[in-house]
Amino acid sequence: MATPAPKRAEHGKRVIVGGIVLSVVATVLVAVFGGRFLPPGNGSVQASGQVLDNTVMLAIVTPVIAGLLVFFIYVLSQFRHRGGALVDGPPLRDDSRVRVWWIVVTSVTVLFLAGFGTFELLQNGSGGGQGPDPIAVPAGTKLPVQVIAQQWQFTYRYPTYGGLETPQLVLPANTYIELHVTSLDAIHSFWAIELGVKADANPGVDNVAFVKTKGPRTFHVRCAELCGLWHGYMFNNGRVVPEAQFTAWVKSQQSDFAPIAKYLPKYSTTYYPDPQRRAG
Amino acid sequence: MSVARRLVGFNLFTACVLGVGGWYAGWFSAHAVVGPSLDYFADVDFNELSLVLGYIGGVLGFLIGLGFFNYPLARLRGYPPSLREKEQGGIGRYFSLCTDHKVVGIQYLVGIGLFFFIGGLNAMLIRTELLRPDHQVWPAGTYLTIVGIHGTMMMGMMTSGILGPFANYLIPILIGARRMAFPRIEALTFWLLMAAGVILETTIFFGGFPTGWTGYQPLGTEANPGIDCYYLFFALVGISMTLLGLNMIATIVTMRAPGLTWSRLPIFVWGVLSTAALMVLAAPVLIATLSMALMDRVVQTNFFVAAQGGSAYLYENLFWVFGHPEVYVLALPGFAIVLEILPVFARKPLWGYRLAVGGLLGVTLLSFFVWQHHLFFSGINADLRPFFMLSTELISIPTGLTFLCGMMTLWRGQIRYSVPMLFCLAWFFNFLIGGLSGVFLSDTPSDTTTHGSFFSMAHFHYTIMGGLVFTFFAGIYYWVPKMTGFQLNERLGKIHFWTMFVFFNLTFFPLFIAGFQGGMPRRVVTYPHGLQFLNDWVSVSAFLLGGSMLLFLYNFVKSLVFDRIPSPADPWGSKSIEWQLPSPVPVQNFDRIPVFSSDPYGYGEGGRPVVVPAGAPAGMN
Amino acid sequence: MTELAQPGADYSIVETEEPEVLSRNLFAAGQLLAGATAFFFLSFLFAYFYLRSLNNAGLWKPKHVDASVTWGTIVMACIVASAMLLRFGRIDHAAGRREAFRLKALVALLLGLAALVLQVLAWHEASFGPTDGGFASVYFGWTAFLFLFVFCTLFWLETVLATSWRYRNDPMGAAVVAPGHASGDPSRTAHDIRNPVELNRASLGALSFYWTFLAGIAVLTWIVLYLI
Repeated sequence: MATPAPKRAEHGKRVIVGGIVLSVVATVLVAVFGGRFLPPGNGSVQASGQVLDNTVMLAIVTPVIAGLLVFFIYVLSQFRHRGGALVDGPPLRDDSRVRVWWIVVTSVTVLFLAGFGTFELLQNGSGGGQGPDPIAVPAGTKLPVQVIAQQWQFTYRYPTYGGLETPQLVLPANTYIELHVTSLDAIHSFWAIELGVKADANPGVDNVAFVKTKGPRTFHVRCAELCGLWHGYMFNNGRVVPEAQFTAWVKSQQSDFAPIAKYLPKYSTTYYPDPQRRAG
Repeated sequence: MSVARRLVGFNLFTACVLGVGGWYAGWFSAHAVVGPSLDYFADVDFNELSLVLGYIGGVLGFLIGLGFFNYPLARLRGYPPSLREKEQGGIGRYFSLCTDHKVVGIQYLVGIGLFFFIGGLNAMLIRTELLRPDHQVWPAGTYLTIVGIHGTMMMGMMTSGILGPFANYLIPILIGARRMAFPRIEALTFWLLMAAGVILETTIFFGGFPTGWTGYQPLGTEANPGIDCYYLFFALVGISMTLLGLNMIATIVTMRAPGLTWSRLPIFVWGVLSTAALMVLAAPVLIATLSMALMDRVVQTNFFVAAQGGSAYLYENLFWVFGHPEVYVLALPGFAIVLEILPVFARKPLWGYRLAVGGLLGVTLLSFFVWQHHLFFSGINADLRPFFMLSTELISIPTGLTFLCGMMTLWRGQIRYSVPMLFCLAWFFNFLIGGLSGVFLSDTPSDTTTHGSFFSMAHFHYTIMGGLVFTFFAGIYYWVPKMTGFQLNERLGKIHFWTMFVFFNLTFFPLFIAGFQGGMPRRVVTYPHGLQFLNDWVSVSAFLLGGSMLLFLYNFVKSLVFDRIPSPADPWGSKSIEWQLPSPVPVQNFDRIPVFSSDPYGYGEGGRPVVVPAGAPAGMN
Repeated sequence: MTELAQPGADYSIVETEEPEVLSRNLFAAGQLLAGATAFFFLSFLFAYFYLRSLNNAGLWKPKHVDASVTWGTIVMACIVASAMLLRFGRIDHAAGRREAFRLKALVALLLGLAALVLQVLAWHEASFGPTDGGFASVYFGWTAFLFLFVFCTLFWLETVLATSWRYRNDPMGAAVVAPGHASGDPSRTAHDIRNPVELNRASLGALSFYWTFLAGIAVLTWIVLYLI
């Protein structure tokens, strides 16, 4: 080697300085631009909250990756064995400074993440299914919409509009929606991607999720829990439309489905269909 | 001995014959006892009971054929405990009940490797389907069965992927013993696993199963009879895991050689100990859960049928009470192998031994308290979500400790890039990505996007394939010369490593994007056209990853069957005790039980011997 | 390297182990088995309280579903009495009163078998079947697996008893048997074991621990399924 090997302190300094520089640069980039490309986008208040959450996560994860990459690149290039005979490294078995710093930093990070996540979660439920007795209930009036999952499609009921049942999901803009998700057969999961909503649909269970829509847009709905043969094809689209348009849509749906309305079961939070044919 | 006598003795051939016989005996006994009264399917000439009894009879016949019942029957007649079955020399030992832990280790390596390749082949079939968004290569039901077999095979078989081959072979040697505590149980765990693997494969004769590896209810209650094969497979794996863990702990606790105090135990032994603890406590929950599911199908109980007083949540809870420790059953041996191998190739002592042990035990303990993060949006216990979020994220502290110990072991070392070391270094990268993507899944608001999507799928492939399978190969390249006495080709090994590492990342990293940005749920047979480029990229990389596995197979067969270059006793310059024995290790392991005087990591600390011949005082450092 | 082992050394060296090794192994295994058993039945306990608290479709415990306390108490009492008797038998064995031990162990075995027979009768006499809601499922599942565990433990008990009978004339600590005798395999040339009676004591220690533990599970079963 042309240059003499650096002393121990210099190794440490190089890695720490390099790690910090790269971490800071990468973290700033993520924090500034992260929100633009991170899912689920700006489709609802909850979705925006999740974007913030994802940005914070990524901003915390980035310096860890950057720091460790610097460490490994430095270590793997600087400390490689050269020459034929085996040479032992220095017998370092412990270093209380490293140990304490590491534990403190990881613990603080973890506790911050858990605290932040809890804060975000309790604010508005962050779009997740909360079961029949939700804990994070936003104030104000809400439009209840029921999602009925079955193999292999979603249908929707609007209890405030006479229990209207329709295969389309249309929601009014700038409104708080109270989704009641249930299933008739297997476990499904109602995932409205751009609205940031995910709630499992269990037979006999009323799983409630809240979401506040923003402006008019379309969004994708997919089943996110393996539910049998055509799970892959269990998807459709939904629309968020202005209030007036929504009322008109409800009217047209009510007249369209009037002939079958009398055959529908009464609106209920859960449905127990006849016992299915079971294997055996 | 004539061929005929060989075939009639207790061996794999007899076992297969009796297994098939037992299967039909069970099948027809159900017909005789129950008749067609339980026959819900008028067009099918059997009922669930006959199928399940058939498999139970088959497994019993298989074990009888191998000779597992000879000893219990002798005990029943009052013969006292004895250690070993009749020993055959030569190759026949590998195809029969053999109580030599070294034979069992090699049986495990080959047997698990076989099923690992079957599981991998299923992955290739999955990626073939996903080449085109809409075109169906496999019918939807076949596709789900392929997905299910892939997941179940990997999660079930690979739980023993490191403990089976390496712990069985090495634990007695590392602790200075001549055998495992219960040699017959050791053999039993292996043969049960093989029977289970075959049972899972036979699901294709009964319509396959649509539930993936989790077997969620009520889908499982409604499914084809093929799902019985899944339940029986996993229940047998659970029994095998429980017994394996029990045997490991008993061995490590009671059979350590003099001088081998807890603080001198190699870190690999600690990893095995913590994994075994998880197995003993978590696997019984799995057995109970799957028994309930089987009873729901066979005797029409209603554990999981909500309309009849049961609950599907019960299954989800019980399954994940097992399932999350199971994930660490897969991950912990990987930590242990990395920490065991790093000191050898960095030529430094393991940094922070106590910290590493604490990390392993911390993960073990915490893993029992995180299961509901799989159920954040299932609609149960919404008020417990902050707790499970916290407990899940707390696991990263002990995991981080093992990371720190590994990193500080490399620090200022004399690093040699041999093949096992490369796989261990890749573990750091993979597990870093896998672990940090897990943060998004543990946080409930972020999980709204990532849960059940390809993001979570990429996450656990990074942790399990990147964490377990990479260290599995590290173990193979590191220890197979000791186990077989022959070297593996270094050049081919390096090519295998680099192709595997590159194509592994090219395969699984894009899946994060597909799940996160593209909103692609798991286990789908179709996807939006916009994601075709990503999926095609992944499929092609996956095929190349499969090719890299074939390269390994070529290397393995070429080196061990054709080249047969004898390996020196200590090719890596390690101080650990297994490298002070001849390769392969003789049948009795040690002529005299050794006395340990230090841990095996004394690099750069002078010529301190790890073991001293028996008779010298213990603890002479 | 050469200090520790030579290739091709004599195999019989493995067999010269003192009985304390088996004793410690079995002791550890007994505890671990108890841990595994506990987690197994915890699943059923969890199922019991979970389904009971949910009471889905009002079908946790329909009117006609009621497990008979009489049958349950008798079965539980048989198992507990058997376990207690074995504990006393163990004291006898340790004190060298091997005949008294054998008598107690035999009665314990018969009591255990009686428990199994009575359990089958209880199933037969039950006023409900496995299809009748949540409680019925837990009841049949739990008792069926307790049946299985008890059966396997009785097998273990039988082996201890049979070994004690077979070597009834050998004094403790001195029995020497012919090569291959112990495993019932005449083709063996090496000794299996030097002192079967000592080993039997080790087996008995672990067995009585585990059997007592299982009796505890039986009591838990009785409390959960019949009393509350």
